[in-house]
Amino acid sequence: MAVKYMILTFASQQDYQAMTGQGSSQPVWTQEDYAALGAFMDAFNKELLDSGELVETRGLSTPVHSRRVRLQEGVPVVTDGPYAESEEVLAGYWVVECASFDRATEIASRLANCPGPDHLRARAYADVRPIDEHQPDFEG
Amino acid sequence: MASLEVEDLLRRLTPQVLGAVVRRYGHFDLAEDATQEALLAAATQWPRDGLPHDPRAWLVTVAARRLTDLLRAEQARRRREEIVAQWALTEIEQPGADQDRPADGDDTLVLLLMCCHPSLSMASAIALTLRAVGGLSVTEIARALLTSEQTITRRITRAKQSIKNSGVPFALPAGDAGRLDAVLRVLYLIFNEGYASTVGTQLLRVDLAEEAIRLTRTLHALLPGDSEVDGLLALMLLVHARHRARTRADGSLIPMAEQDRGLWDRTAIEEGVALVTAALPLGPTGPYQLQAAIAALHDEAGSAQATDWAQIAALYGVLLRLDDNPVVALNHAVAVSMVAGPRAGLTLLQGLETDSRMTTSRRFHAVRAHLLEQSGDQAAALAAYQTAARCATNTQQQRYLNQQVARLQNPT
Repeated sequence: MAVKYMILTFASQQDYQAMTGQGSSQPVWTQEDYAALGAFMDAFNKELLDSGELVETRGLSTPVHSRRVRLQEGVPVVTDGPYAESEEVLAGYWVVECASFDRATEIASRLANCPGPDHLRARAYADVRPIDEHQPDFEG
Repeated sequence: MASLEVEDLLRRLTPQVLGAVVRRYGHFDLAEDATQEALLAAATQWPRDGLPHDPRAWLVTVAARRLTDLLRAEQARRRREEIVAQWALTEIEQPGADQDRPADGDDTLVLLLMCCHPSLSMASAIALTLRAVGGLSVTEIARALLTSEQTITRRITRAKQSIKNSGVPFALPAGDAGRLDAVLRVLYLIFNEGYASTVGTQLLRVDLAEEAIRLTRTLHALLPGDSEVDGLLALMLLVHARHRARTRADGSLIPMAEQDRGLWDRTAIEEGVALVTAALPLGPTGPYQLQAAIAALHDEAGSAQATDWAQIAALYGVLLRLDDNPVVALNHAVAVSMVAGPRAGLTLLQGLETDSRMTTSRRFHAVRAHLLEQSGDQAAALAAYQTAARCATNTQQQRYLNQQVARLQNPT
C-alpha cells in the first residue's frame, strides 16, 4: 500500500537573502542562478505530478517573516522573527505518496541536482520522513 | 470522436445535466455525485462507441439511475443505523415530458447561485463552482489551486453539506442582488487565483484565468444587459490580454510600464473595450465596470507615458467613493502622481501611512519608494525600497526590490 512521506529542505535567513539579491555574508545569486532554480523545480514537480506521486508541495517565505507562539504563564505570547540569521529552518516541502521509503528517498536524492551556488550545494540536504497516518488494521 | 472533444463537450454539459437532475429530483449533494459518475461513464464510452443521439438526455438518464442507487444505499444505511425509524424513499419522478422545463440556461444560473451561496466559505464556493459548474475533476482543481486532492474533496463535501442543511431551494432567488454579487466575487477570485504562483509551480496550473473567463462568459450569456456582469467579463479580458507580456522567459515579472505592448492580445482588448463601453451607459456603475474602464485605458495606450492618466485618476476617485479600500487608494495616488507629479502622489500616500493594512504592505512601500526617487529624494527612496523588500513574502518580488536597493546604493 502506498504510504505518504514528507521531503523537507532547509535554508537560513542568510541563504534567503543571498537568493533574493540582498547583500549579506554570502555572494548574491545572479538572475541566471535564480532562473535555473525555478526551471529545475518546475521540471522536478512536473515529473512527480506525471508519475502521480505528488500530493502537495510548497516553498516557504523568508524566515524573518516567521512568528512563534508559545505559552508564558499560561497565556499565548507571539515572537516575531524567532530565528538566528544563520539558523537553518524549513524552506520547503513535498508530500509524496509512493510505493516505499526507498522510492521516497530516491525522489529526495534527485534534489541533489538542484542548481545553485557551490558553497550552498556543498552543505544542502533534504530529509525524508514517513507521515503518521493511522490505517485501520482490517483495511491493511 | 476524439477524447479531447468529448471532454470539452462534457464540461459544457456538466451544469446543464446537474441542473436538470437537481431540479427534477432534488438531493443536490447526491445528485452531484451521480452526475460526476455519469460524466465519467460518458468519458470512457463515448470516445469508443461514438456519441449517443442526444448526449444531454443520455447523461441525465444515467445520472438519474445512479441517483436512485445512491438514495437506496443511503436508505439502507439509515435503516441499519436506525437513525430514522420511519424513512421512505421518495418516489422518484420519471424523466419525461416535463413541458414546464425551464431552458437549460436557467438551470446553470441557479447552479451558479447555489455554488456561490454567501453561506459557504470562499474556498468551498470556489472548489464547488469549479467542479459543479466548470466540470473540472478534483485532480484538476487540486492542481489549479496548488493543494491536495483530499483538501478539495473535503471542501466540496463541506459545501454540499451546508447547502443541504440550509435548505436553499433549487430556484432563482427573487430580487436578491447580494446573491449575484457573491457569484461575481467567486468568479473574480478564481480569475486572480490563476495569477498566483511561487517558484517551481509555473507549469503546474490548469489555466484558472481562462476557466474564470469561460464561466463569466456563460453568466454573461444568461444575464444579458447586467452591467456588472458585463463589467467583470470586460475586466478579465482586458487584464488577461496582457498575460503574454507579464513575465520574462526566466519567470520574473515585468512591470506594465516596461512590457512589450506588441504582445498584448488585441482581439481580447477589442472585445473588452466594446463590452465596457456598452455597459457604462446602462447603469448602475459598479466597481467591476470602473476597474474595466481603467484597464481599457491602459490597454489602449501606446506606452506608459501616452496613457490617459487624468482619466484613470478620475476613475480611481469614483472607485474610492464606492469602496474605501487602501489598495484602490494606492492606485489612485499612483495615477495622480502621473498627472500632477510625484509630490502630489506622496501627499496622498501620507494619508495612508497610519492605515494598519498599509504599514506592512510591500506594494505601499514600493510605490512610495518609486515616488520618492522621482521627487529626487534618493536617501528616503533607498530606505523605502529596503522596507518594501523586507515586507515582501515572494522571492521574485524580493529580488526585484533588492535590485532597486542595489541600484540606488551603487549609482553608475
